[in-house]
Amino acid sequence: MFLGCGIGVSKSRPILLSSAPYWFAHPATSGVDKDRSGVISDSELQQALSNGTWTPFNPVTVRSIISMFDRENKGGVNFNEFAGVWKYITDWQNIFRTYDRDNSGFIDRNELKQALTGFGYRLSDQFYGTLIEKFDRQRKGQVAFDDFIQCCIVLQRLTDVFRRYDTDQDGWIQVSYEQYLSMVFNVV
Amino acid sequence: MAYPGYGAPGGGFPGMPPQQQDPLYGYFSQVAGQDGQISADELQRCLTQSGMSGSYQPFSLESCRLMINMLDRDMSGTMGFNEFKDLCQALNGWKATFSSFDRDHSGTVEGHELQQAITTMGYNLSPQAMNCIMKRYSNHGRIPFDEFVSCCVRLRALTDQFRRRDTSHSGNASFQYDDFIQVTMSV
Repeated sequence: MFLGCGIGVSKSRPILLSSAPYWFAHPATSGVDKDRSGVISDSELQQALSNGTWTPFNPVTVRSIISMFDRENKGGVNFNEFAGVWKYITDWQNIFRTYDRDNSGFIDRNELKQALTGFGYRLSDQFYGTLIEKFDRQRKGQVAFDDFIQCCIVLQRLTDVFRRYDTDQDGWIQVSYEQYLSMVFNVV
Repeated sequence: MAYPGYGAPGGGFPGMPPQQQDPLYGYFSQVAGQDGQISADELQRCLTQSGMSGSYQPFSLESCRLMINMLDRDMSGTMGFNEFKDLCQALNGWKATFSSFDRDHSGTVEGHELQQAITTMGYNLSPQAMNCIMKRYSNHGRIPFDEFVSCCVRLRALTDQFRRRDTSHSGNASFQYDDFIQVTMSV
């Protein structure tokens, strides 16, 4: 699922395990589409998801996910697209469970390091502190499910933009000041 | 290639009062612990109490986190008093620039005014780069002070990072992938 460096590593998708989403609301056909519009909006998806706490699922993450699967720029997903959304979330759930080794429902700094290193990133120890500080909305010093997804999405976007400039795929880019600013402001 | 400055000129503190007599030190020491460092939420308190946001909305925790990162050389996630002073100086400059564009005193500026403000501060950006920035910060075409400061902090931090890697001062910098990820995410 993630590319850790620019050198010829291919993207691979994790295998979907057929486990029931134990902490999600199960998407009964009309259960998620509350207004029965045929399109699941950001807020409907947000309500269908749980991050393991009583706080609402990160709306930024919801927006990112919907925009990934919304083929028609309609600001929501239809039922076909929703199947993709659900698989995506279940994949993430499995990854989260794998790395939440102490089963706390949160990924702490060490577990985050193992997860991202597992995805192929090579990041300094202190940087994990920065990541937690940046993404942990619960202010616990650990990331909940929704914030973990958000962190990984942003890392992936940065990787994508880097790859676009790394035409010879050697893990280095050379950019002008302007290009650099545009790259960054597009993503973070 | 000239690198832009850090906010409008002036807005600093005249002279250099000894630390203990510096009015800012009072606010700082109230929130800092024994180690003389403040974290993002302590910075938020400090800035609110010292009235740095002026008549505008207080700074969000996210903005405070960005401000700490901007000056945080050792990636400790905290800020000492000297850095806090530097920050206040920059904030005063940004506040002056912002209020010169916020003519109706709404606490927000419009997209094109943000562009003008950025240009006033010395950044010479292409229309595309400006568009990216406007899209990122405007909320229905308006940018509140807090978001403006976020934008300025990021511009300054990114410029610093870029400059450090543009060793030949050519206006081009090389980034290795792992470094790129960490630098960009810290901002």
